Amino acid sequence: MGAVIARRLAWAIPNCALITAILFFCVAGLLGSPAALMLGRDATPQAIAEMNARLGFDRPLLTQYLEWMGKALTGDFGRSYTTHQTVAEAILPRLPVTLELGLLAIGLATVAAIAFNSLRGWFARPAATALAIIGITVPNFVLGLSLIFLFSVELGWLPSVGWSPWSSGAATHVQHILLPVLTLSAYYYGSFSLVYQAEFDAMLGRLFVRVARAKGLSERQTNFRHVLPNSILPVITYVGLSLGQLMGGAVVTETLFSIPGIGSLFVDSILSRDYPVMLAVGMIIIVTVVLMNLIADLLYAFANPQIRIE
Amino acid sequence: MRRPSPMAMLGVAIIFTVCAISALAPWLTQIDPTKSSVFFLSPPDAEHWLGTDDLGRDVYARLLYGGRSSLLVGIGAALIATLIGVPVGLVAGYVGGRADVLASQFINMFIALPGLVLALMITAMIGPTLANLTLVLGIVTWPRVARLVRGQAFAIREALFVEAARASGGGALWIIRKHILPNALRVIAAQFALSVAYSIFTSASLSFLGLGVPPPTPDWGGMVRTGLDYLAINPVMSMAPSVAVAMTVLGFYCVGSSIK
Repeated sequence: MGAVIARRLAWAIPNCALITAILFFCVAGLLGSPAALMLGRDATPQAIAEMNARLGFDRPLLTQYLEWMGKALTGDFGRSYTTHQTVAEAILPRLPVTLELGLLAIGLATVAAIAFNSLRGWFARPAATALAIIGITVPNFVLGLSLIFLFSVELGWLPSVGWSPWSSGAATHVQHILLPVLTLSAYYYGSFSLVYQAEFDAMLGRLFVRVARAKGLSERQTNFRHVLPNSILPVITYVGLSLGQLMGGAVVTETLFSIPGIGSLFVDSILSRDYPVMLAVGMIIIVTVVLMNLIADLLYAFANPQIRIE
Repeated sequence: MRRPSPMAMLGVAIIFTVCAISALAPWLTQIDPTKSSVFFLSPPDAEHWLGTDDLGRDVYARLLYGGRSSLLVGIGAALIATLIGVPVGLVAGYVGGRADVLASQFINMFIALPGLVLALMITAMIGPTLANLTLVLGIVTWPRVARLVRGQAFAIREALFVEAARASGGGALWIIRKHILPNALRVIAAQFALSVAYSIFTSASLSFLGLGVPPPTPDWGGMVRTGLDYLAINPVMSMAPSVAVAMTVLGFYCVGSSIK
């Protein structure tokens, strides 16, 4: 097991370094001089050069990258160009919001996908499949908009957009998070369903299913007690991969519902060219992906001894 | 020849309708989709079938013309993805060895990253024009094509006829072209349709986030974005383009998944 961990880590660290380096060079190279952006259109070339020199942007990109990386590893990502707070201050309060939203959505999608697709009635299965296709093909903003229209504008049951933290009451918090969680979980539900359905149907032809039926269990009992536990493994792998998308997956949902999370911060920083924030958030999103894939790999190796020997 | 599944027929019907509407837009309405008027946010009536938006532009006309950019970006991006992904996948899968390990690592790393986030960053850097968006979505989509084609090539390479070709002295490139590629075509076609669906999905999301085709060009994602603020006044303004995006993506998805 130790060797497996070492090997995966040996891949993960250069991966992270490589992607962040590409990210840094692209952002720095293509966005142009940050000083020109900060000083606006009327700035003289002299003023821009002066500010670049003062902030250290006139040095070679590699030096800048190494310095940025060195500081980033100690948690110092610089200051935001627009709000002037430190990047850490801008990001930290938003992390739990995105985490809560993402975990609830993925959790809901997992439970729903397994429960709905374990039924094989004439109605239940086509309905579950139709729902899965809707989840995969309907973009987040379309689904969210429809939910807002139905539940907020027409029925008036729930608030349309905005966010209310736990501290201002559990009931309002739940009211605000309900539609975003539903919206975000649809795509996850769709992809989990397709994976689970394929595995589930392949299991049905196996001998142990016939034995279970022969000893007098009903179809539903067989499905839930015998087929379900045997076809759940690919879904778990898939859930693990989806957890990697935790930080970056809610970009549209957060923007649509005006939720102060990592995704909406990312979009704002891009639209306002707030380059330290953009780099830091991009970095967090990428590191989450690599880290979660690493954990999923390790869990898989732990659960399946064959992989360890390889 | 099998009869096409209902899903495939539904998909083809949707794609055909969307393409026809986009091509025939100037004949379906006389109104210029970019022309503003003083009648803003008016509800649907006889002249403006779906009402007008916040700048007094006709929503129906914008809806008809809005499909053009989506289709162009979607199909263009899928073409780029295929042109990059197929050669990479074929070579990695057939040649194998260290090249394959390296290519697969790179591809898997790319796929694990959220596509929309990647597209957002690149678009922000090079600027949202129709050509750039197509390029960006092609770049974001190609690793999926490459992974699939690689898997196919890897499987076909073990087949007896490939071994025979190798034994009779066929070179790697010749075998890839004559034996591997033709056998992977079906999967490539399926993935092409799925790539179009994915690109339209993602480009609409980009527009929605404010990084789409620049105004005043009508675009579905952008229409939803503006309509969101007036959901209570004129819901059609955002609902109509929403339905259009969802249907178009569904159409390409149905075709792609039924070829597979």
